[in-house]
Amino acid sequence: MSRIVFSLTLAATAFSAGLALAQAPDQADEIIRGRYQAILGDCSACHTAPGAKPLSGGLPLETPFGQIIPPNITPDKATGIGNWTEADFRSALKKGIGHGGKRLYPAMPYPAYTRMTDRDIGNLWSYLRTVDPVFNPVESNQLPFPFNIRLSMMGWNMLNFTPGEFQPDPSKSAEWNRGAYIVQGPGHCGTCHSPKTALGADETSEALQGGSLQGWYAPNITGNSYIGIGSWSEDQIVRYLKTGTNGHTIASGPMAEAIQASTSLMTDEDVHAIATYLKSTEGGSTQKPQPIPASDARMKVGAAIYHDTCSACHGGDGKGASQLFPALAGSSIVQQPSAETLTRLVLQGSQAVHTPAAKTTPAMPSLGWKLSDEQVAAVLTYVRNSWGNAAPSVGASDIGAQR
Amino acid sequence: METHCLKRPTRRQFLSSVAFTILAGGAAPVMARSISGRLPWEARSADPPVQVKPGGWLFFTLEEAQTMEAVADRLVPADDLSLGGKDAGCVLYLDRQLVGSYGTSSRLYTKGPFMPGLPTQGYQASDTPAQRYRAGIAALNAFTRETKGGKRFAELAPADQDAVLKDLEAGKITLPNKVDAKSFFNLMLANVMEGFFADPIYGGNKDMASWKMLGFPGARYDYRDHVSKHNQPYPLPPVSIAGSTEWMTR
Repeated sequence: MSRIVFSLTLAATAFSAGLALAQAPDQADEIIRGRYQAILGDCSACHTAPGAKPLSGGLPLETPFGQIIPPNITPDKATGIGNWTEADFRSALKKGIGHGGKRLYPAMPYPAYTRMTDRDIGNLWSYLRTVDPVFNPVESNQLPFPFNIRLSMMGWNMLNFTPGEFQPDPSKSAEWNRGAYIVQGPGHCGTCHSPKTALGADETSEALQGGSLQGWYAPNITGNSYIGIGSWSEDQIVRYLKTGTNGHTIASGPMAEAIQASTSLMTDEDVHAIATYLKSTEGGSTQKPQPIPASDARMKVGAAIYHDTCSACHGGDGKGASQLFPALAGSSIVQQPSAETLTRLVLQGSQAVHTPAAKTTPAMPSLGWKLSDEQVAAVLTYVRNSWGNAAPSVGASDIGAQR
Repeated sequence: METHCLKRPTRRQFLSSVAFTILAGGAAPVMARSISGRLPWEARSADPPVQVKPGGWLFFTLEEAQTMEAVADRLVPADDLSLGGKDAGCVLYLDRQLVGSYGTSSRLYTKGPFMPGLPTQGYQASDTPAQRYRAGIAALNAFTRETKGGKRFAELAPADQDAVLKDLEAGKITLPNKVDAKSFFNLMLANVMEGFFADPIYGGNKDMASWKMLGFPGARYDYRDHVSKHNQPYPLPPVSIAGSTEWMTR
């Protein structure tokens, strides 16, 4: 830690001359706290392209309305946010209105960041001023007409956006409130995990109950014991967020990125707080449907494919092998209402997250070359309705759409 | 006292070694790479074999194919255990192998020196399998035409075919054009067996016939549910790389 303090102090000192900021003596503390806010908020997930300089602009985000490219948020004056003031930044996070009154698109999760405290935003701003400025022009707005009219976000905000800081619930513990703050505010979990309205806003009445984005289905992460994380102990949630694997499942896809860049770097207290809060939430039906009977034709075909193709790793009983192969039996991810993630895993394969505590990165091979749409549908229907699992069947047309 | 010093390279040695170094360095891109952190991985990556489909000969002429089908049917005769080598697709398998990398020995070292090796060292001459089949089948038919009343091998009665094959195997026959009878027989035997026992995806072993005959479970790789069930037959049917009939969805 002392090395970080030293280098940040050095960086802060080096910048202070050029930026002509009033340097309080505790600026280093502020910057360090701000750096942690950037971890909680996972700014780099969107604003840093793979292999690029930190926060110099990201890869295009595919939204249902078109493409948005996360801008350069380094302090570069020409192409970054070097000309912004702290008030501009605060307004961007709290109201979705940036420098010069420019309206942000809610792909930038200001509907979540608005819950952040002034102090946390101030710290984050201090940190962002210390990032290496990078000249990298980014034209964020790639949306087609009419979505490319930024002013239209005014109407969107009226309909969908409730600004305002997080209000702690005094009836709950400090830990619960801390968890709720991170989940709803800087952590912006709902940006992926909440279903979206037709306008692309979080369906607040169904917060954290699962949503589809970028070819993945971000599962229900409420305390629902059927399709949420209710069956995980608090410790298992913590291990998942810290290492990417917890003996039940292994993270991959966008969550792997979130774990690598954000949750695995959070303090143990914060991750515990998140677990405490998530376990207390409710969402979706906990009533399992009747599983499709094993005598069903799709189930029979699915069973044959499963035992010939999948069981070597996931086991004949679907129990997997703790750190190496995710369990399918009892897995809430397997039983989500949407089979989008499962389909993607079978068609494309997937690799486990790489964290310092879990370096093996076991991978699932792509089976798209081998299985037809009907066969993928059958095997997914089988794993969703075996060993105590129960979930709607999967249709071949859904598979074809994802090829 | 005599002084020993390193022999200076001649001008020619020096130039050729420099030229060789440049060639070796520049001829191929560097294949080695170091990996650190996470293992490399790509979505949708797969290098699957392509399912061989019947329909036409890509290497054999019709006469060659008929000859090989006759050979395959004698090496693996149809009986109450399984279908014969011809119907199992052994020649289809061989045909597709001979137009591929096997036929041209593209993955073998095939430069000299060519010395007669020990029997345990396998084939030591320069001809590729494709060349050996072309010459071997022609020589075999020339031999039968000459000694069996003008008939090609495929036109002989099964008993006569067996006799010819036995003599080939024993090296009792001298084939024309310096084709080594014993070594050609061994080549055909090995390839017909491959066709009969290899995964059906390569064209032979139709419907996993040989695997069903042996009780071989095929392209499976996990027996944890069965290892402790001693003296009980393995219950599951064989499966090919391409799947099994149980995977049929309709």
